[in-house]
Amino acid sequence: MTSNISASGLSYEQALGNYHLQGEFPAHDLDIDKDDLLKQFHPDHRSETITTLQVGPNKGARCHAQLAQILQADSRIDAADLAGARIKETDVLVIGGGGAGCAAALTAVEAGAKVILATKLRLGDSNTIMAEGGIQASIEKEDSLQAHYLDTWKAGHKTGEKALIKQLVMEGPETIRWLIQQGMQFDLNQFGDLLTRKAGGTSGNRVVYFRDYTGLEMMRVLREAVQNSDVEVWDYSPAVELLSNESGHCAGAIVSSLEESRYVQIKASSVIIATGGIGRLHLNDFPTSNHFGATGDGLVLAYRLGARLRDLDSFQYHPTGVAYPQHLSGTLITEGLRSSGAYIINAQGKRFVNELQPRDVVAAAIIRECREGRGVQGDNGMQGVWLDTAGLEARNPGILQQRFPKLVQLGLKSNIDIKKIPMLIYPTLHYQNGGVVIDKNGLSSVSGLYCVGEVSGGIHGKNRLMGNALLEIISFGRKAGATAVKERQSRGHKQICIDHISNLRRELMQNNMPMKCKAPVLFPNYTKYDVSDEDDPHHSRIFDL
Amino acid sequence: MNTNPSENVVSLTINGKSIVAPDSLSVIQALWHAGYPRVKGVGCLEGVCGSCRVMVRRADSDELRMELGCQLLIEEGMDVFFSVFDTPSHHFYQLSKISTSWDVQTEFHHIFPEAEKCRHCHGCNKACPKDIDVETGVDLAVKGRFRESGELFVECVMCNLCMTGCPEFIDPNHVGLFARRVTGYFHTRPSNLINQLEAIRTGEMDVDIDDEGQKV
Repeated sequence: MTSNISASGLSYEQALGNYHLQGEFPAHDLDIDKDDLLKQFHPDHRSETITTLQVGPNKGARCHAQLAQILQADSRIDAADLAGARIKETDVLVIGGGGAGCAAALTAVEAGAKVILATKLRLGDSNTIMAEGGIQASIEKEDSLQAHYLDTWKAGHKTGEKALIKQLVMEGPETIRWLIQQGMQFDLNQFGDLLTRKAGGTSGNRVVYFRDYTGLEMMRVLREAVQNSDVEVWDYSPAVELLSNESGHCAGAIVSSLEESRYVQIKASSVIIATGGIGRLHLNDFPTSNHFGATGDGLVLAYRLGARLRDLDSFQYHPTGVAYPQHLSGTLITEGLRSSGAYIINAQGKRFVNELQPRDVVAAAIIRECREGRGVQGDNGMQGVWLDTAGLEARNPGILQQRFPKLVQLGLKSNIDIKKIPMLIYPTLHYQNGGVVIDKNGLSSVSGLYCVGEVSGGIHGKNRLMGNALLEIISFGRKAGATAVKERQSRGHKQICIDHISNLRRELMQNNMPMKCKAPVLFPNYTKYDVSDEDDPHHSRIFDL
Repeated sequence: MNTNPSENVVSLTINGKSIVAPDSLSVIQALWHAGYPRVKGVGCLEGVCGSCRVMVRRADSDELRMELGCQLLIEEGMDVFFSVFDTPSHHFYQLSKISTSWDVQTEFHHIFPEAEKCRHCHGCNKACPKDIDVETGVDLAVKGRFRESGELFVECVMCNLCMTGCPEFIDPNHVGLFARRVTGYFHTRPSNLINQLEAIRTGEMDVDIDDEGQKV
């Protein structure tokens, strides 16, 4: 991970010597040219990592090279695999067990559909559970839906889809109400009103939250709701290929049952992909804040069936990932700290950026400090800058324990008292801004195929605001769940096929593309999990150690 | 997975396999480092998903402790076992079936009939990797003090270890989550949210997608 950084910076001890606990002080160099900063230092702008897609619906489009590799990889499935596979039928198949998948499944099952939710690991194992900062919804008198709309659009560099953004912000308050009706708690003031705070790039107080456990609180409630519903949950069942019928309508999926070491065909009237993002591919060798299962599976499945994608060269690097200690490298530290007034300080003890700029700007500024020798050198080879937790505590005694118990715990487990010394941080790969092109119901360009949450694109344009992801997964998850149910009446289970795989192979061969790589990859390579194990009858023994 | 050459290297056993790895690694990282595949029982890798439950015995003690494998740094002589097993709850309920908040207490005892049989054996408290006072939480719920009970479970990651430590099959973490959920469901009524919902319903609050704002 050191390849991200060139200049060597100051040692941890030297830099800690330069660090002095002090009250409020101004940042220097705030008049930066943001576009210039992004061009020079944001990882998206490294031209050597961008390539052009050779096959598929986005042929000719710019794409990150590591993503292109899996989008243009061979399928893991042959026609022969289908012959022996058990067949199961349902109305709606939801792929992915995070917040978006649960919201979609709950809504579909409430509407009377038969629903299977298949997920790679266990229900709830997702990025949702790790979300900390909160969820955006414009509810304060001083704020407005229009402001939420404009903040979102501008933060996305004015590239987001306006109609989708409008729907997102209009649904904000209703989404919070729905979550409360599932039994989710939020931080309230003494009168029972929702507490709100700012996020980087928001013009008003708009983020509602539960401590720094917003995602955990949301996910445990949704998981409990799903487990107490008629949704059939399949754990340890990653989807490896989609099915279609003769007219190209998505007609289900093939999942790999990790426990039985065999494939199962699930026929469905409609499919909702909610598989999340791509962080565990460690683009540009960055550490990641993402869940272990975030390997871009949904993008691969949808692209192969003909779904158009967008913004494949745009990723979010969250400014404050843990740089030290090493076993937590990449772990997210919530933006809520900066919202509450925590500074970011370089090895010389100086602020160098307005901490509440949008995430891409702050991340680029941190990379600049490190590359220009003003970073702190951790003894694990990682560089970073300080997130001044100690200063925040000094100015607001008790705030860390009260508002950020998760972070305090994380420090304790690593023998760092974050109330006394700052944390060493560096940007961490956090979010895939783009994804599958969708309409207001989450429908992709393939009939019967819905995509919701991080796997979809268009809402956040080329940069996402804090709190808009949790809002998106619930509001669009519910829309897709409600809409997908309606396909049940219009289509029965017709002849299903996997012709799109033959087409893919033909296209790959015609373009002289290598066929060695297979996708979806399912697990990061450092887990030593081997694709070929799936053909091994004793495979489950291997993966259970 | 860079490792620093200056780090201490320790020996330990994980699921009976002898492993040598730098002491800056967690249990899960050490397994991967040693070349063993492991995907089951791995989740968020930051201690909030409850997937990577392990039993651990340290070199200087006979005590068997429950921890989370992603949070646990390896030590010399440690003996670690992953406890990967399904622990589905046998308690089922739907909040929408509880008609008013007056009925919560009665419903609670229908849904969780074992809760009042708690033997105060501390099995749940000992099993909790987050040091939650689970037993008191159950006790408070039995008394109908759901808000107070739920507060104790703020840090609960639903790892289900307390379920395995309970001889009465109370499912204490699900009791805690029930206590939290009824509190939200029946008692969170924020006026700022409700006013905004009304303003949207009446059309007073809307979004004009062609208004791109004054300042650019």
